Amino acid sequence: MDVNLIIQMLLSAAAGTILYTLIGIAPGTDETAVLAPVTLVLILTGLEPIVVLSFFIASIVAKKLTDSIPVAVAGIPGGVMAAPMVEHAIVLKEYGKPELAIRKMVSGSVIGTLVAIPVSFLLAHLLEPLSEIIGAYSSQIFFVGAIILALMSKQRWIALASILPFAILIQGMRHLYWGLGVIPEGTNVFVSFFLGITIGPIILTLFELLNKNLRQSMDRYDRKLVESTTERKYKGLPNPFKILTTQELSLSTIASFLGCLVFVMSPVGITILLGELVAARVKDPIKKSALAISSMDALTNAAYLSGTLIPLIALGRPLSPVALGPAHALFNAPPVFTEDNNMHHILSMSDFAWATIIGALVAIMITYFFIVKYAERICLFVFKKIPHEAMIGLFFGLVILLAYIDAGWINIGGVILIGLVAGFMHRLGINYGVQFMILYAAPWIVQVVAL
Amino acid sequence: MNKDQQTRSQEETGENIEIWADLVSIRDLTIAIAITVVTTLVGYFIAPANEPMPLIFGLVGAVIGFIISSIMIKPKRQFKPSGQGGDQ
Repeated sequence: MDVNLIIQMLLSAAAGTILYTLIGIAPGTDETAVLAPVTLVLILTGLEPIVVLSFFIASIVAKKLTDSIPVAVAGIPGGVMAAPMVEHAIVLKEYGKPELAIRKMVSGSVIGTLVAIPVSFLLAHLLEPLSEIIGAYSSQIFFVGAIILALMSKQRWIALASILPFAILIQGMRHLYWGLGVIPEGTNVFVSFFLGITIGPIILTLFELLNKNLRQSMDRYDRKLVESTTERKYKGLPNPFKILTTQELSLSTIASFLGCLVFVMSPVGITILLGELVAARVKDPIKKSALAISSMDALTNAAYLSGTLIPLIALGRPLSPVALGPAHALFNAPPVFTEDNNMHHILSMSDFAWATIIGALVAIMITYFFIVKYAERICLFVFKKIPHEAMIGLFFGLVILLAYIDAGWINIGGVILIGLVAGFMHRLGINYGVQFMILYAAPWIVQVVAL
Repeated sequence: MNKDQQTRSQEETGENIEIWADLVSIRDLTIAIAITVVTTLVGYFIAPANEPMPLIFGLVGAVIGFIISSIMIKPKRQFKPSGQGGDQ
């Protein structure tokens, strides 16, 4: 590998780290909505795939490291993945230990990253012989995946019942666009439908605002009260192996390992499960919360990395909730990457290893040290300067843009329609994983029922 | 929060509502969405036609919209120091 390429990888990793350190802190930033479009653009600009991968790995590691900060400081999740940790982090905050929570969580994140990388490569190696079979039956596998994810979710029957109607909606819109000649027949509108699902809950809420009765009956608040402890600086060089106790370290390691094994499952689901398991066993509230958040953060990190790396290296098909979500552009970014010619086909095993190691190390080096030392100061800056309205506006702008690019003006209405239905489904308890699987399996499902 | 103390009429005069785990004012949210959608689409349409410039210009437009709305709109968060220990 030549020096020039390595420099590009280092630079892109550093850029991803800085960008997603800031984004990670902003409350409520959905991982898919913030990672997928930017990665997509980088791929379309024609950057080397290996450089994009370094950027992506650095970005998810940095984002996962920082999204725990607002949880600890304000009890607001920095991302969907951080939501299950809020309950435990609030305990530590109430005992006046938010900086302890931050240190435990980011240290857990580092452990998750360190465990997930070798384990993912190993699992990918074991799964690789299956890639051709999986490639040939990917639609069926997505369909089965939707059923499995539906059965595993809390609202399983309604999730199951939604599969066919949602598939018909998606496929129906594609046929409408083909029929009208908006896009050539056979071209699948995908990215914008995908983002429509992601911001569905917001679109539904925005529509509700237009209904006078609903608007008036909404709960009103004055301001979000954020309690902030004055900053206490961490002395010395931060070291995850010292910050975590032996018990936290071992549970984080085990959780990370298990997180990799179940890479096809929803990371949020397994994180909640882990938190409940821990909570049932430890009595002391501070110890319980510290153990829960460090191991949960390790798990989400590991689930993120393995969910990206294993399908990418072994299968070339986005067969995990993470690969279907934030990492989606690495698998499918027409015209650069397609299902049959994406990073899986272009990069070699050593390319994957280099990109992952460079990305993860750069992110940990910059973000971990920075956060352990200055967590609260960064957090206060973001909370004081970035209004939530601007974040929502940004997502909205991106969705409209990608909708237009995919299929013109009509698709802006189309994406809003998908968002309304998806948001409603989400409110009924049908999680993103099920909805994304349906999006993938839709052509096959509709073809089968039409017979 | 203190919504119990507020009367119905006050609640209708533009108090904040909760979307995605944080508070927004409906008016400010409308402004932010309008600004960002406009800057994004303007970026996209003024870009040179060769790929992938329109997408990049569109994204830059989105970021500009984000910055403008961040400057124009005040976050609805209030800070209450509860710290022990000194400032650095």
